[in-house]
Amino acid sequence: MHNDQTLGEYLQSQGVSRRGFLKFCSATASLMALPPSAFAQVAEALATARRPSVVWLSFQECTGCTESLTRSHAPTVESLIFDAISLDYHHTLQAAAGEGAEAARMAAMEENSGEYLLVVDGSIPLGNPAYSTIAGVSNLDMLQESAANAAAIIAVGTCAAFGGIPHANPNPTGAVSVSEIIKDKPIINVSGCPPIPVVITGVLAHYLTFGTIPELDALGRPAAFFGQNIHDRCYRRPFYERGQFAHTFDDEGARKGWCLYELGCKGPTTYNACATLKWNEGTSFPIGSGHGCLGCSEPDFWDKGSFYTPISAGLWGSREALLGAAAAGAAIGVGAAMAARARKKKSQDAEEAQTT
Amino acid sequence: MTLLDFARGPALQWSLIILVFGVLWRITGSMLIMAKKDLSKPRRNTAVRDGFATIARRSLPEHQFEKKIRFQHYTGYAWHIALFISVLFFGPHILFFESVLGFGWPNLPNSIILVTGAIALAILIALLIRRTSHPVLRLISNADDYISIIVVIVPIITGILAFAHLGARYETLLAIHLLSVEALFVWFPFGKLIHTALTFPSRFQAGSTFGRRGVKA
Amino acid sequence: MSVDNTAFQEFRASIDKLGNELPDDGLTGEERVRRAKNTFMQKLDSGMAVDLETCIHCGMCAEACHYFEATQDEKYAPVYKVEPLRRFYRRELSPMRWLFRPFTRDLTAEDLEKWQELVYEGCTGCGRCDMMCPMGINLSTLINVMREGLASAGLVPAELRALQTEQRDEATVFGVGADQLRELVERMGQQGIDVPLDKSQCDVVVLTTAIEILLFSDALAATAKILNQLGANWTLLSKGFEATNLGLISGDEITQRKATARIVEQATGCGAKIVILPETGHAYQALRWEGANEVDEALPFEVLAISEFIAREYDAGRLKLKASANGRSVTYHDPCRLGRHGGVIGQPRQLLEALGLDFREADSNGRENYCCGGGCGEYVINRSAPLRQKAFEIKKREFDATDADEVVTSCANCRVNLMIGASNAGWQKPVESLVGKVAASLAD
Repeated sequence: MHNDQTLGEYLQSQGVSRRGFLKFCSATASLMALPPSAFAQVAEALATARRPSVVWLSFQECTGCTESLTRSHAPTVESLIFDAISLDYHHTLQAAAGEGAEAARMAAMEENSGEYLLVVDGSIPLGNPAYSTIAGVSNLDMLQESAANAAAIIAVGTCAAFGGIPHANPNPTGAVSVSEIIKDKPIINVSGCPPIPVVITGVLAHYLTFGTIPELDALGRPAAFFGQNIHDRCYRRPFYERGQFAHTFDDEGARKGWCLYELGCKGPTTYNACATLKWNEGTSFPIGSGHGCLGCSEPDFWDKGSFYTPISAGLWGSREALLGAAAAGAAIGVGAAMAARARKKKSQDAEEAQTT
Repeated sequence: MTLLDFARGPALQWSLIILVFGVLWRITGSMLIMAKKDLSKPRRNTAVRDGFATIARRSLPEHQFEKKIRFQHYTGYAWHIALFISVLFFGPHILFFESVLGFGWPNLPNSIILVTGAIALAILIALLIRRTSHPVLRLISNADDYISIIVVIVPIITGILAFAHLGARYETLLAIHLLSVEALFVWFPFGKLIHTALTFPSRFQAGSTFGRRGVKA
Repeated sequence: MSVDNTAFQEFRASIDKLGNELPDDGLTGEERVRRAKNTFMQKLDSGMAVDLETCIHCGMCAEACHYFEATQDEKYAPVYKVEPLRRFYRRELSPMRWLFRPFTRDLTAEDLEKWQELVYEGCTGCGRCDMMCPMGINLSTLINVMREGLASAGLVPAELRALQTEQRDEATVFGVGADQLRELVERMGQQGIDVPLDKSQCDVVVLTTAIEILLFSDALAATAKILNQLGANWTLLSKGFEATNLGLISGDEITQRKATARIVEQATGCGAKIVILPETGHAYQALRWEGANEVDEALPFEVLAISEFIAREYDAGRLKLKASANGRSVTYHDPCRLGRHGGVIGQPRQLLEALGLDFREADSNGRENYCCGGGCGEYVINRSAPLRQKAFEIKKREFDATDADEVVTSCANCRVNLMIGASNAGWQKPVESLVGKVAASLAD
């Protein structure tokens, strides 16, 4: 339900000191790559921001994005921000159920028409509307209906942003992303499987502060978090540069923490903040734990060959086809040579006929 | 499908098929045209040994010849060897070969690879300039000569750019590099790059022809 | 010098007059192209095909060619000399001809006429380029095919064509036939040199050449002396003595076959076991390496160059030589067709050393030797005289670097060409025959 408390009042009521609040504002400002001069603006804006209504729709998803967001071992200000929005509809977190929950959703959208934020996770099946329904309403219908009066849409997770796992070959449900359906609203793609929690709250903080969506890259993702690839920020980069690679998961290179390019790391072609922000409040990220990046924030990351196929490897290598090509080439060559012999003989015979 | 997916998938598939098909076509077609039997009495019957001896020996010219072609001889070796080191011993390249051939081999440190790549590139560019200015080369050069050297130079440049992450996003640089190599594959059977295969029967023949007359070729 | 200077000057004068009265053959441009193409079509085989496919246009062949070295003119690059043949091959016989044809210019009569100079004057078929090519391309073979194509198109240079038609139709060269041979044999007999002629049965048939008869009869006399010393059962044959093969030189297939067949028939007829080539280059190649292919069967006799024969007899102990050098130093010029193309490289040196001479190798020797510049009929083409003289400068430089007193060679063509070059350059050192030197040092 929409609350008349400002964000600052709410945080204070939860026991967050002024000092703690300002620390969060400066962290958020620097996270968004904002100049120091903007800090005051961020603090002022967040302190006086109204708690926006947020409707969270979950379609063909695994709930991993929600889990990522809510997995905190200690209450952090990020999670408090999350609490600070008026989350008027969320399958996993809401208390209501059934008709009551749907009614709450409709009421929130009507009361905050034009101002509520729509958050979507999971892909939308177009193959058959019956593949995924909520209260008998297909995902497609619900999305279109809910987006109609939203201020902006945040597509959380690679499924909502790009189609994700359901979209992987052969895509039996005809899964598509939010941006393939909604064309007339601003959409922020926060991809990742799941996304890093603080990336989501950073986007929300930006929206709360400025009332606008942040600068986006060519795939509609916030440039502040998705503007650099893992490879450029990877702490194992010096080993890549030197050509020291782990060849298997337990060899000398693996144990010494060498580059995982050979084991299929997709770091160079993956744009996310894992190498800097890391996971579990900065504990680690896949490469730090000895496994190559899966490229989970990129479109079609399931269809780039195996997770263990290196980026430089070809995605095609049929020995039969090459042997067939060799045989065909040799056959044509032999044919061409025989034809050449025939021409030579014809010329010889013609000349002999002339002289006799 | 992204550009990189295209480069690693269909473009790789068809360029390799064209490469293998074309090379076999050209080699069998030229070697089988006709061979006349030589009825003269040879001085010795070591045709096969003479052939292989010349394959080796022609790589090491006699002093009287070598002194005339020193520049080409040494730069020719230098860029071929440097390029082979870069192509065959760079980690990501070995992974590429493994995906096509089914086996790989140990790699060399990247610093060496970068140095050999730069050496190969510099020499090739110098030789390209030489081809446009040396009187004999200007007279005999045709489109094939220029295309062939450019399809070798471009992958080196795009490779260095991809390695150094210079000029565009990595996936674009890698895709362009792969496509430039695939262009080399497609051109290979039809231009003078075929000498990689045909120089062996050609030298062999010189060796056995002169060898049967008792002359070291 | 053991050559009569008057005879030498007369010989040079006769070359000047060659080819002046040849009639025009009346062939149209299209007809010339058609004939050349027919010849190319029949002559190209897989060895040549592989060679034409594998050229990388490196231009190193030019650096081996004495004419390029002498003039630095790029048109003498060997690969350029075969350009029309390469284009024909790509259009007509290459396995990828259907792909190459739209991009390869067809042959024209102008091409053929332009290439006459490059292939007959700009090349002696010496084969140095064969040795240089990093791809192992047999350029001299390809250039020979060019000559064969141009010959069938009626584009042999006038002087050569005069000699070639003379040999084809009259069976003489430079007007030298059986009568002239008989006269020489008689003269030699009067000088005490016994030269058997027209024996019906013998072991060894000796050939000679028009140049030997006209100019270098010292070499023939020396050969006779050696064979007589050995007590060999040998003869000259008045119907089959001419080793010169203007067919090989000009590229005219019919003349080449006729000239070879004549020798084979006559030598076989008297039961020869060995046929000896006199001091010559191209004629050795014509019989030893191409003879069997011209008559389509293996030769029934052994073919040896005179220096090969002498070395064999010396090795076997049947011929004894005196070492009588008198401190004379010599260098040896390897005739291209005898050495690099023929395989007779060690024997001349072995003999010169056996003679006790102070033997000095030139920088380029053996298979790397520089051509005398007048081989393969080149020296009769008057127009190429300035070019040949420039090429002679290379030989002169190498000879001077050895500081030898004499140049020895074993080919009459090389010998006369080097003498012409020396005469024009005012170079004083003599050019001697190997056989002559051996004959002068026979031990009793």
